[in-house]
Amino acid sequence: MTEQIQPRLREPSQRVSPRARLMWGLGAALEAGALLVVLVVVGPAGGWLPLPWWALVPVALGAVAYAVVVPQWRYRVHRWEVTGTAVYIQTGWWARERRIAPMSRIQTVEHAEGAIARLFGLATVTVTTASAAGALEIDGLERDRALALVDELTLMADSVPGDAT
Amino acid sequence: MSDDLGQGWQRPDPRMLLVYPVKELGRFLPVVIGVLVAGTASGGPGTWLQLLGIGVPIALGVLRYLTTSYRIAQGRVELRRGLLNRHVLSTPLDRVRTVDVTAPPVHRLLGLTSVRIGTGTASSDEDDHLDLDGLPAERARRLRADLLTAGTDSEEQAATAVLDLDPAWVRYAPLTSSGLVLAAGVLGLTSQVVDSLGGLRVDARNLHDGAGAWSLWVAVPLGLLGLVVMVALLSIGGYVVTNWGFRLTHTGPGRGGAWQLRRGLLTTRETTIDDERLRGVVVGEPIGLRLAGAARASAIVTGLDRRESGSAVLVPPAPRAVVERVAGEVLRTAAPLTAPLTRHGPRARNRRFTRALGPALLIATAALVLTALADLPLWVPVLAAVGLPVAVLLAVDRAAALGHALVEDHFVVRSGSLVRRREALEVDAVIGWNLRATWFQRRADLTSLVATTAGGRQAVSALDVPEDAAVAVALAATPDLLAPFLAGPPD
Repeated sequence: MTEQIQPRLREPSQRVSPRARLMWGLGAALEAGALLVVLVVVGPAGGWLPLPWWALVPVALGAVAYAVVVPQWRYRVHRWEVTGTAVYIQTGWWARERRIAPMSRIQTVEHAEGAIARLFGLATVTVTTASAAGALEIDGLERDRALALVDELTLMADSVPGDAT
Repeated sequence: MSDDLGQGWQRPDPRMLLVYPVKELGRFLPVVIGVLVAGTASGGPGTWLQLLGIGVPIALGVLRYLTTSYRIAQGRVELRRGLLNRHVLSTPLDRVRTVDVTAPPVHRLLGLTSVRIGTGTASSDEDDHLDLDGLPAERARRLRADLLTAGTDSEEQAATAVLDLDPAWVRYAPLTSSGLVLAAGVLGLTSQVVDSLGGLRVDARNLHDGAGAWSLWVAVPLGLLGLVVMVALLSIGGYVVTNWGFRLTHTGPGRGGAWQLRRGLLTTRETTIDDERLRGVVVGEPIGLRLAGAARASAIVTGLDRRESGSAVLVPPAPRAVVERVAGEVLRTAAPLTAPLTRHGPRARNRRFTRALGPALLIATAALVLTALADLPLWVPVLAAVGLPVAVLLAVDRAAALGHALVEDHFVVRSGSLVRRREALEVDAVIGWNLRATWFQRRADLTSLVATTAGGRQAVSALDVPEDAAVAVALAATPDLLAPFLAGPPD
């Protein structure tokens, strides 16, 4: 390669719903809470936990940070974009993953609403390709927007010929 | 082509009347043995039971023969089977992607084969596969030729042999890990059998006395040697059983033909792969093979059932030159396998070192501390310290492997040390790109570049590529796909 400036990928243009932070926060809080309950209540009662009480402090701090910081972080990373020819998403927090798939290789488009997501009126759209390694998942979309996106993707994927392998 | 096979349904070959009952007897074996034993013990009415115990499976086998039929008509392959639960499988001819002809030992004795028609189904249910069991070998070959040339006019074409197994290559068998896997399997099975037979009672004191007479310094190396010999013999056996008579041929025109692969000592297996489904090659060099100047190769095939990925082997462990020649012929260009690769640079190298040395250092430190605190025997920290130079060697080797390139419309990637792989995937077969970077990788401006595909391991990944190079190679491979998502030049 010569000394010219190399092109870089930009971030996808669309952000997910701001309510996704609350959804991820609630999910993380439930996980962290379950861990703390096990450590504080069940452990000492069962008598199998050899931890001194002060060791619980950093664990609790970590759990709170996990429930508060990670959803914010995730919200800053999660982005998506659909053009006439491709789907481009960015997910993750510690490990950031960008996935690009051409419209012509889309096999299925899936709409899902988890229990927590429904509390916040959110939904997940998953786009699969013929490769098991290539599913694109957009988490935390407003339900109406997700449904519209599913329709749009289905239409566009249908209009491209070929068996997508 | 399908017309001369007729409109009507056809039964399997009558010789299957010998195969089905034997199969059913095998399936009912526990019951049959139970009935026979019970009959002999009780006498009298037992004889009837015995007759029933053998007669029912045989009758079932005959029924299976009578209720199974297939036809190829109106552009479809159809298979009917089942007495109580009628089961009809049907697939359009143009969906047929692979035709595998296998012949287990009993079939071979009778000159029969079993034909599996692959449509790339993801279903793992054995009932959902189109198996035409019990075709004479000659008819199976004709059927395969018909099915795979459906739509084209190509006549019988001469096959060109690309690879024939050289029995001397058996010497590479012990250098792969397959022997270890086999040995583990054999040990596991033996221990289970011994367990179920009431367990082997070893008198510990006796053993200790015996070993004491030998001294540990003789017994341990001797035991290890025995183990090594056993593993080597098993892997040689495995190699011979699966790869005996290995022959790779190509029929038809340069493109648009098909690869045919035949192998097996007891059960012969013939696989056919359309040229257009063969989208890439993986040359694998496990460390043992690499040190001996050998390698093996497999094909990246789209539309193969995932469970059957093993049947895409192109070259069993063989000398490197042979592997490169065959892989080059399969790709129609040797360049992707021989061209120099773009290296991933010092930052990727550093990451290999931290990743290998980090855990090794951690273990060594922990061993030292624990030895000081809890007085463990001295060999524990010594053993842990040995891990450090090993980790360094591993890091050097792993760093040396890293590389990627775009050669003659193939995305080429190399990585790994213990199992080094060079993968070459046709750009047309790339379905999408995944770029994954952890926080550490982003700090070093590196990313893992993954090309997803519908065949083989479903993805070809380049580890720790500098971000610029990753985007550049993906852009060069699929310009239309990436162009809309590029950032403008940084200010």
